[in-house]
Amino acid sequence: MTTMSPNALCFGDEFPAAGAPCLVQVEEHGLTITFASDPADGQPESVPYSSLAVSAGGLDHDQLVVKWAGEKGERTLYLKNPDVIRAFRETVPSHLSLPFAQAAEQVRQVRHRRRLVWSLAGGMILSTVLGLWFGSDILVEIAVSRIPVEWEQKLGESAYRDFLSHQEVMKEGPAVAALGEMTQRMTAQILDNPYKFEVTVVKSDVVNAFALPGGYVVVFTGLMKKAESGEEVAGVLSHELNHVLQRHGLERIVKSLGIMTVAAIVFGNQQGLVGMMKQLGVELFTLKFGREQETEADLKGLQLLQRAKIDPAGMITFFERLSEKDEGRMEWLSTHPMNAARADRLKAELAALPKKSPEPFTFDWKQVQVSLGSQPVVAP
Amino acid sequence: MKSEILYPGAFPMVRVELEAGENIKAESGAMVACSPTIDIESKMEGGFLGALSRKFLTGEKFFFQTLRATRGPGEALLAPTVPGEIVILELDGVNDYMVQKDGFLAGAEGIVIENKMQGLSRGLLGGEGFFILNISGKGMLVLNSFGAIHKIELKPNQEYIVDNSHLVAWSSTTSYNIEKATSGWVASFTSGEGFVCRFRGPGLVFIQSRNPGSFGAWIRQFIPVSE
Ligand SMILES: [Zn+2]
Repeated sequence: MTTMSPNALCFGDEFPAAGAPCLVQVEEHGLTITFASDPADGQPESVPYSSLAVSAGGLDHDQLVVKWAGEKGERTLYLKNPDVIRAFRETVPSHLSLPFAQAAEQVRQVRHRRRLVWSLAGGMILSTVLGLWFGSDILVEIAVSRIPVEWEQKLGESAYRDFLSHQEVMKEGPAVAALGEMTQRMTAQILDNPYKFEVTVVKSDVVNAFALPGGYVVVFTGLMKKAESGEEVAGVLSHELNHVLQRHGLERIVKSLGIMTVAAIVFGNQQGLVGMMKQLGVELFTLKFGREQETEADLKGLQLLQRAKIDPAGMITFFERLSEKDEGRMEWLSTHPMNAARADRLKAELAALPKKSPEPFTFDWKQVQVSLGSQPVVAP
Repeated sequence: MKSEILYPGAFPMVRVELEAGENIKAESGAMVACSPTIDIESKMEGGFLGALSRKFLTGEKFFFQTLRATRGPGEALLAPTVPGEIVILELDGVNDYMVQKDGFLAGAEGIVIENKMQGLSRGLLGGEGFFILNISGKGMLVLNSFGAIHKIELKPNQEYIVDNSHLVAWSSTTSYNIEKATSGWVASFTSGEGFVCRFRGPGLVFIQSRNPGSFGAWIRQFIPVSE
């Protein structure tokens, strides 16, 4: 046998798992397959078209997969050589032409999508290069400022709904009412608020709260049980609301994915979109904000509390207490590392703000906590 | 071109013998020693943008080196940065491999290295970043792993689930989906980890017996942190 250059891989029980390289020739009656590793007397194998089944397969569904029941068991051929695929298309008989057309269409779509993705990638590279020159933060800010709020809501909402569908949501009761009141007091003080904040109480001992882009906020009952006053919870809530208002989530997403990718997610094909959004949702939950973003959310949060006439001291005492204790499941700390500097910065900021006499909430915090099933914490 | 793995195990090297005029592409920094007949050229595979994109998007080093036996036959010794095994594959023009960014050590002249963009969700969750190396062509391909390298052979439609941070390389005839390892959302958003790839055959999947990320985290606990 002279040296041949294989153009396909054949899989089957007697072949190695990596596949046997082979030469596929398209003929009138069917395919002729010659194996590279055949002994000299090995006969090329001929398979009539009538016994073939075709589909698309491989890592990106961009290979033509041809299957048939051979004498020694099932055989699977993976083809990606465009010449062979073209020859196959030209000679394929009618019973195969429909599945072939479907497989070919799938391959074509993948190639098309890949081109699109590559142009997006080009955009990302370009923005990376530009970012090096102009300071990437400025670029990110410009990009983020151009993203409409509706996109942000689309990104956040599906992740939020999906998250809640796996959780025990508290629909009513003193805790829900209390958070409603806090949210109401604060959002009334936000000028030109483009977000419709949605705050949900989730029953869980996790000491955590988070905000997704678009104004979707979750507070766990564990955090409410740990707080000694409504003002303390309001402090965390104000901090989270300001992550949304300052579009911190979006900044992180754009920074890591590039604006073009965000556009692709929002305008992407509808089929892939749902799954992609779900998976992106996971990314949204693991999102860690930068130190500057945390500081910004702290300071703006403090100012918002002040405007809403909620005693900002609660925010500071809660932060201080969180940083002292490390018993229990303090998840908020894993995304919000506390240190003395953080509370001190807030104290300094508070001292600089004009004094305002706070107005208490209408609810009794101890009763809210009792409704959550915890013994009221005795203030030191 | 002949090659041989020296000191197989945790600290191996590859010896590559080159005929006069032959060359080999190696990860920059992989060259340990070579005959005086061999010249080292730093070349940007895939042009400037290709190299730049590799640098920024896969974290790969900017250059590959080309070791060329310009002045007659000679040999070169190559070694990876991390402790771990080396495996040599022979590509015959039809079997392509996807290689995770740190898995490539060297490749013969006929080997083609391309950056390949993964699907968005794969890139986001797969942990290998958006770009992986798509290696095709003909000739020798040398991969390295962190820890031991293990080959999984998959028959058509046979499935296997692999923790994504243990992936080294896989054939392009396989397909995979990213799945969450844990059933609870809370676990995945607090730990930020736990994704696995469900591979479907036919083809080969090479995995490494140690997870570089976890190892890094383990090391970090011994490093004093300054605020
Ligand atoms: Zn925060």
